[in-house]
Amino acid sequence: MTLQLGHYLALSMVLFTIGSVGFLVRRNALISLMSIELMLNAVNLTLVAANRWQPAMTEGGSGLVGGTPAVAVGSIAPHGQVFAFFVIAVAAAEAAVGLAIVLSFYRLRKTVRTDAADMLRG
Amino acid sequence: MTPTPSSPAEIVAFFFFGLLAAVSAFGVVAQRNPIRNAVALFVHVLSLAGLYATLSAHFLVAVQLIVYVGAVVVLFVFVIMLLGPASQSSGDGAGRFPRLLGGGAAALVGGLLALQVRGLAPERVARAESFGTLRELGAVLFDSAVLPFEIASLLLTAAVVGAFAVARGHHNKVRLTASEGEQE
Repeated sequence: MTLQLGHYLALSMVLFTIGSVGFLVRRNALISLMSIELMLNAVNLTLVAANRWQPAMTEGGSGLVGGTPAVAVGSIAPHGQVFAFFVIAVAAAEAAVGLAIVLSFYRLRKTVRTDAADMLRG
Repeated sequence: MTPTPSSPAEIVAFFFFGLLAAVSAFGVVAQRNPIRNAVALFVHVLSLAGLYATLSAHFLVAVQLIVYVGAVVVLFVFVIMLLGPASQSSGDGAGRFPRLLGGGAAALVGGLLALQVRGLAPERVARAESFGTLRELGAVLFDSAVLPFEIASLLLTAAVVGAFAVARGHHNKVRLTASEGEQE
């Protein structure tokens, strides 16, 4: 057998679904943040896999807007990997801010249950 | 370009790391004790690094290990340690409605995605030796993606400042509101 793009997409579909179920079902703010990380990782896997199966660069079609193609004709530009790199950067920022919010919320309510976050309810 | 067949090592690595990733993702969601969730997240991140290796994304393997294992998981463990027993929220039984909603939504998303994935079989082009190396990634990163790169640095600075501002808190106000919370 040979690995196809569909294998990776199916795997990342499973991972994303597990992450979204966790986000919707669990009531612990920490677990919710971890579920978001799961979903971001699944998307990253999709991006990197799609990059690996991307058609090779052809003559004239650079795929870039207003820039010179950085890779030679006949090879694949690692745009998907660059995108995943940015997603990792955003995920790190999200984790830092999210955990700071969890800490701040714990100081207010002495719990990390998301049910307890009802201060804005009338 | 002719499609390249996968080597046996690649296939074994894909199924090993893929299974590990799925099992540990389930562990992240299902475990009760938060520190076990964090350990499951650790295993999940490691197995994703392995999957990136099968996709010849060498730079991303390193970034995944440094950023996720070195920073994000450690941050999670740190917060769990800081909160102590309070990080384990008792009675996570959310009631039937949210669970049904969550399960239904996930099944819907999964089904729709499966419809998309089925029958998708593009050919994998031959990999150049330099694909996924730091050199090629840097060429793209500092050529066409240089503006997003700079914006990412702004974003990270804002995140650091914001995390400080949120986590430090305003002490007087916090005491006031916390005592209100106890009276309830």
